[in-house]
Amino acid sequence: MAVAQPVGVYEREDLLTGCQAVAEGIRLANVDVIAAYPIRPYTEVMDAISKIIADGKLVAEYIVADSEHSQFEIVKHAASVGARAFAGSSGTGWMYGFEALVVTATDRLPVLFLVGNRALDDPGAFGVEHNDALAIRDMGWLLCWVATAQEALEHVLLGYRIAEDREVRMPMALAMDGAFLTHSQHIVRIPSQEAVNRFLPPFDLGERRLHPDNPVSIAPQVNEDWVMEIRRQNWEAARRARGVIATAYEEFNQVFGQRYRPPYSFEEFLTDDAEVVLIGMGTVAMPARTAVRRLREQGHRVGYVNLRWFRPFPTEELRESLRRFRAVGVIDRDFAHGAPDDGGVLLHEVRSCLYPVRERPAVVNFITGLGGRDVSIQDAIRMYEITQEAARKDRLDGFVTWVGVRE
Amino acid sequence: MIKRVEINYRGIFQKTLAKRIGGDIVMIAARMGQVGFSNGRYSDAPERNGIPCKYFAFVSPDLSEEELEAECGAKLDIDEANISVVLDDTMVKGVEPWAWHGVRPINEKVVPYGYLLIVSRRRPEELVRFMARKPYPYYLAILEGEASFAGLWVYRDDLTHERVLGALAALDPQLLSIEAVKGYLWDKTHEEHRVQAAQKAYESVRHNVHEVTPLQGIDWPYEIPKLPKWHEFPEGVVVKAVPREFHLGPKGQSRNQLFKRGTTKSQRPVVRFDLCTKCTLCWLECPDQCFDPTPDGTYDVDYEYCVGCGKCAEVCPVQECIVMVDELAFEDNRSPWEHWKRDPEGYVRWAEEKKGTHRVLPNVVTGTGQRVVEVEPVPAGGKPKPAARAGA
Ligand code: SF4
Ligand code: SF4
Repeated sequence: MAVAQPVGVYEREDLLTGCQAVAEGIRLANVDVIAAYPIRPYTEVMDAISKIIADGKLVAEYIVADSEHSQFEIVKHAASVGARAFAGSSGTGWMYGFEALVVTATDRLPVLFLVGNRALDDPGAFGVEHNDALAIRDMGWLLCWVATAQEALEHVLLGYRIAEDREVRMPMALAMDGAFLTHSQHIVRIPSQEAVNRFLPPFDLGERRLHPDNPVSIAPQVNEDWVMEIRRQNWEAARRARGVIATAYEEFNQVFGQRYRPPYSFEEFLTDDAEVVLIGMGTVAMPARTAVRRLREQGHRVGYVNLRWFRPFPTEELRESLRRFRAVGVIDRDFAHGAPDDGGVLLHEVRSCLYPVRERPAVVNFITGLGGRDVSIQDAIRMYEITQEAARKDRLDGFVTWVGVRE
Repeated sequence: MIKRVEINYRGIFQKTLAKRIGGDIVMIAARMGQVGFSNGRYSDAPERNGIPCKYFAFVSPDLSEEELEAECGAKLDIDEANISVVLDDTMVKGVEPWAWHGVRPINEKVVPYGYLLIVSRRRPEELVRFMARKPYPYYLAILEGEASFAGLWVYRDDLTHERVLGALAALDPQLLSIEAVKGYLWDKTHEEHRVQAAQKAYESVRHNVHEVTPLQGIDWPYEIPKLPKWHEFPEGVVVKAVPREFHLGPKGQSRNQLFKRGTTKSQRPVVRFDLCTKCTLCWLECPDQCFDPTPDGTYDVDYEYCVGCGKCAEVCPVQECIVMVDELAFEDNRSPWEHWKRDPEGYVRWAEEKKGTHRVLPNVVTGTGQRVVEVEPVPAGGKPKPAARAGA
């Protein structure tokens, strides 16, 4: 993925967890207001930011809130006065602040949130599951998954660039798998401030900024008279966001070298001659890619698609990509009990995206890795085998398979 | 090729130490042109004081970082270790983490002719006698030293960190060369004593490596728990309570049979029942309810459940009545009260021998170090005296 890197754009290399990498991104984005409330695995982000502030490397308001709800309200209000703001959470904590989250989108305030994916306990469970972040999917948010610590740092910068764009101005949830990314230490290249400044302009809310010199009122009572039009505006912003995302990655590449390849919203691994692919989000890419390598050694034409941007969903690009294959296996690290065919959330997005294609690939679904259960290389190979079987038989019955459950 | 290093540590007390060692392995390997990354076993958190936990470092001389990560990154635990580091030698009795793993042998993951590196002052045979027999040979390496204990908010800068890095260089120079270790420590700190600590450990460990054959060790007495299938337990996350029962005497209270947590301790309380004034404090204050009331009014200890926190020794108002003793001084978890009942004088002799003549007083102010005092044993038939308090 990483190719050329122009000299001078990186300041140093350091060993960072995914959480610490996000904190470095916050420092480089020169964030003004941070609201914090602990819940694992997100907690390490707030720890790392507080240390950066204590070390004198960032001047920011750091507010420890009394709950996630207050935490999210604080950053929403901070953004409305023109502050670049950050908050984050995980699992049920994220859900607890939901009322504040949904209105941040309606108010079109571009705050960046980190979601360290965590199961929605009860019972006491801390491992990764994507339902927490996915819950925001219909609420007018940007939602993106990263799979490495380097990407995590870079997507803080990309996230602010995209969310704050005049054409967008939407809140952004940056999701990363609990444990496998949040708590894993990697050598990360840390960009120089000078290079970041070239890429990321200061936040400017313009005419919408709440300020004594610019008297405005945000979100007054609208009753039945305005909501439909407000939603229509939000839809337009989400559509424009697709273009802004591509532009932002191009600009990023210009400053930092060819870090990312089009179509940016997802990344393909050994798909050129593939007959069958799996698609998933987050760190499940690790065992899947190893499985691809091993199966290719035995002559199987398989590949992997790592979906990065879930909202806005890269409909056109993904449709064009996936239609090339004979079968697509969708990996869901989430559940949607009682949904059509009892498949997961990603299944329905991918299948619906492919529906207008006349000669569609067969689509099968895997529910796996729930609650932090590890997805082994062997599990991934099994998923490839089932998908290959679907390609041969074009069989769509009973296509949801739970992988890794004790049965 | 992938080298996997496992770092076994005591939860909270050695968390920062283990994380730093794991991280520095990656940084030093990178100086040698290798790629690596490091993580902890996530299911160990939230850690409880002393509970056995693991940290990992993965290094490869030839794979890309992406390939290395693809092989090792998205896993909770490892299947095998080229080197298993043990930061506290009392873990040779077995490690039972929070999650449903059961009591596992400390050498479980060590590969044939791999290394088990233990920080210890003991001789190899004193450690091997607690460890599981393996079907193949491997090496036991000993890094002379005490277990380095601190706590979540403090870091004990006693050079264990640097010494372990030096020891790893002695065991596998391809993983970490001693030059790279020293260069890294110097560049990072510019402190010569850190470089020297690594160098000395490197030299001493090379002469302290012992082959362990398939004949050595014990048959592992613990079973690995079998987890139920999805349709085999009640819906709604309902767990049946442990049946309540109570009678006077050893193991007279019902306890959870599935998670005994005894491998959490590095010390255990030795009780002089003959000095006990039956004040009830140990029984009331033990956070894990390990004391069983007995017919004579004293309190037996269930060592299978004791986590070695030392609370009982702290609250006992009688001098020399409850004293914490190194866990490796004991072979089994049998009831001390039954021993005392059977043979009161023999028990007192036994207890005093285990206790020895030196007591470590807890730190009065963090950072002032430990105070060790010499004590006179109280003979059998001696009278209870009020306990001397730390700082007095
Ligand atoms: S050391 Fe004492 S107080 Fe602590 S768990 Fe053991 S018996 Fe209980
Ligand atoms: S605290 Fe000491 S004196 Fe009191 S009951 Fe326990 S052992 Fe006996």
